[in-house]
Amino acid sequence: MLTVKERGQFVATMRYVQVWLMETLAAWVPTTPEMEVKLLFGEHIWDVAQHADALGKRTFELRLPLQHSLRPNEAYVDFLADVAAIGPTPQRLSAVYDVLLPALSTRYRRYMEQTDALSDAPTVRILERDFADTDRMVRAGHALRQELPDLQLKDGAWSAALLAREAAIDPVVASSAGALAVEA
Amino acid sequence: MTKAVADDTKVVRGIVLRRDPAREPCFDIVDLHEQVPDSGMQTEEARCQRVHREYNQEVQTLEIAAICLADFPAAPWELRLELARQCWDEARHTALMYRRLKEMGGWKGMYPIANLDWSVVAMLDSLAARLAVQHRTFEAGSLDIETFAIQMTHELGDHETAEIMEAIEADEIPHVRFGNDWLRRLADAEPRTVLQVAAAMTWLRRVVDATGGEPLHEVATAAEARELAGFSTAEIAEVARLEKEVLGTAAGMPPGQSGE
Repeated sequence: MLTVKERGQFVATMRYVQVWLMETLAAWVPTTPEMEVKLLFGEHIWDVAQHADALGKRTFELRLPLQHSLRPNEAYVDFLADVAAIGPTPQRLSAVYDVLLPALSTRYRRYMEQTDALSDAPTVRILERDFADTDRMVRAGHALRQELPDLQLKDGAWSAALLAREAAIDPVVASSAGALAVEA
Repeated sequence: MTKAVADDTKVVRGIVLRRDPAREPCFDIVDLHEQVPDSGMQTEEARCQRVHREYNQEVQTLEIAAICLADFPAAPWELRLELARQCWDEARHTALMYRRLKEMGGWKGMYPIANLDWSVVAMLDSLAARLAVQHRTFEAGSLDIETFAIQMTHELGDHETAEIMEAIEADEIPHVRFGNDWLRRLADAEPRTVLQVAAAMTWLRRVVDATGGEPLHEVATAAEARELAGFSTAEIAEVARLEKEVLGTAAGMPPGQSGE
């Protein structure tokens, strides 16, 4: 069973990732040419902001400051930096909707297997709500690419490699000694 | 004043502005509102022009809210949440206008577009200045314009477009309100904010002068909408006075091309 400290670290780290995703989608809105993609990102900025907000409220219940973020381990930070630097729209879409969002759901599920569903029920409830949103977001990403096939990534190996790189980083939470708090 | 680096800028009539946001090749991008076709409201063609223009205005407003989130990571979380919500609202507004454009037989890139609001706001290097120009001036100005335009569009028999405009205006009021609210809170926390806002407004007037703000249009200040958006009675009266004396229209730009 996870300790309160471990729960807080996971939640604060996931908040960091959700805030990062909000900022990345936001930065991509003006630099992505396709109108339909701008609108998809615009909608999902609000989804991930709400995820970050719910996680940030939970950190306060886990003996951490309100809206507290923890920087993940360096490998994950490097991974996120590489994703943020992606330019072409098909790769941006694939990185978010084929790789990052499904990977976060996988991490959430793994966390739920490890934590106590009763004593950590508020975290579980937050993650369960995020699943529903994330499913909707992923479906929207797929639907858009079916509607506009030019946005479909031709090279499936690219996203498979990115997914494998993400999965290889485990755990994503930085060690306590190296964990760096980030302002909301 | 500026946050943008040289590669991100362009010069329009001697004023350094932010380079246009990314657009698909189907769009013909121009620098000035006067280069965007505007035949009024009376004909179907004119209304199509307006919807196309609004389509691009809404996406610009999404882009402005988004870049505020990206550029100011240290802003208060509650303010960032408001901006994130605005991104969704503006995305929906863009989709509504695009759907209406297609219903009217139009298409993306049908007319030239100008991204002047983006080019102005994205040059400002403080979030307070952006809130003052985008939310408190451009979007508040659009409340006045839309209130007038909704009624006129109904009178012309285009009820579908009028209803979309009304739904959009309802969403815009909270945007202006949070802009007003946060400007006050930021100024209370940091008095220097007032100077940043004053500098931004002075610069905006120079931009409007240089880029050809049109003479005064007969658009009355929408007092009720502004009250809902958090303006005091004295502020509303001041805006009405400024409209006449300084800016022409509320934002110094033609109806339908200011804010959203």
